[in-house]
Amino acid sequence: MIGTTILRARVLALLAVATLTLSACGVNNVPRYDESAKAAWSEVLNQYQRRADLIPNLVETVRGYAKQEQTTLTAVVEARAKATQMQIPADILTNPEAFKQFQANQANLGSALARLLVVTEQYPDLKSNQGFLSLQSQLEGTENRITVARRDYIAAVQVYNTELRTIPGRWIAGLFYPDAKVMETFTISAQAQEAPKVQF
Amino acid sequence: MLRLRWVRAALSGAAVAVVAIAVAVAAPTFPKLTGRVVDDAHLLSPAATTRITGWLEGFEAATRRQVVVVTVPSLQGTPIEDFGYQLGRTWGIGERDKNTGALLIVAPVERAVRIEVGYGLEGELTDAVSRAIIEQAILPAFRLNDYERGISDGTAALLRILGWNGAPGPTVTVPPADPLGNIAPFVFLAIFIVLVMLRSRGRGGMFLPLMLLSSAGGHRNRGGPSFGGGGGSFGGGGASGHW
Repeated sequence: MIGTTILRARVLALLAVATLTLSACGVNNVPRYDESAKAAWSEVLNQYQRRADLIPNLVETVRGYAKQEQTTLTAVVEARAKATQMQIPADILTNPEAFKQFQANQANLGSALARLLVVTEQYPDLKSNQGFLSLQSQLEGTENRITVARRDYIAAVQVYNTELRTIPGRWIAGLFYPDAKVMETFTISAQAQEAPKVQF
Repeated sequence: MLRLRWVRAALSGAAVAVVAIAVAVAAPTFPKLTGRVVDDAHLLSPAATTRITGWLEGFEAATRRQVVVVTVPSLQGTPIEDFGYQLGRTWGIGERDKNTGALLIVAPVERAVRIEVGYGLEGELTDAVSRAIIEQAILPAFRLNDYERGISDGTAALLRILGWNGAPGPTVTVPPADPLGNIAPFVFLAIFIVLVMLRSRGRGGMFLPLMLLSSAGGHRNRGGPSFGGGGGSFGGGGASGHW
């Protein structure tokens, strides 16, 4: 009877020591960094959505002043449709193809929009329209927020991936989180680096 | 085989170190938060500095929100948008969980001005409103090289948009309401609270004393050395202008 009590106490003590040691060497780091990377990702999605939401109004406003820019307008509408209609799989962060597709669609929409904004420079009436100016500043702000959100995501993923790839995080993940996979991150595409071309 | 693995581990470690250094180098050196008006580019007279500091103190006392005016001699090659949100985060302007801070940044050498808006104020101080303040209250004076008036009028207009009428200045015509701006802050706030909760596990206890300090310092002249950010964060909201 006394023997079992002592044994139980010893097991409990051992467990307590093990828990303390494990948490001290960061056994929770993998899920913690995973959560912050996912939170950063939802901010990225959120900002891309915000941009997509601004586009219909922008297209309508520009169309009112610059009907002859039909090709540029159609390109924006189509790029938006492609970007918003993409089914985003639940595992997009660890699925290189889906991630690449997502990035390509958004980059495509970004450059179509940039071309549209360059074209609008030729329409003084449009440029003095209050509604257009307001939309333009919101769009600029959204592009800026996208940049910030992407950068925060890249930083969060860097922390997470480093934890998964280095010791002791690598051992801990192998032991406790065998499903944890390194996440995809943004690269600057050749398309995004190219300045929009204007045809006159 | 074993040796190969070690080499690979060492290489990936080196790669991580290189990335970390690259990230560290990319961030510019930020000015010190010496008060509510940080005039490192020397655009303001002592009288104007005192007056604007007084407004900003009154504004915080009334609304608990924080606005800081900063002029910099150089952006160090960084676009003002990148500089602005990082500066806001470094200083932690605004209430911690509400992110109710904003910055007015002036870089006379680059001829750039920016209103940087914390997550929590994006609904009131939208990009379009920020642009209107810059275009109507700030740039006309800057184009005449009257920096003091531009900064003073711009700050006054900004404070009025944020619900404080204690500063005199010209009226700014606000563009039609932005339907997105009304929902977006709540979404940001929700995400942000999650982020803050995740991050704050590691470092408790630092902010309460800081916040107490900053509210205690509210009535000293010039904001004094006791002024500090409340811990708010920024996500790139606002607008920029050039002249």
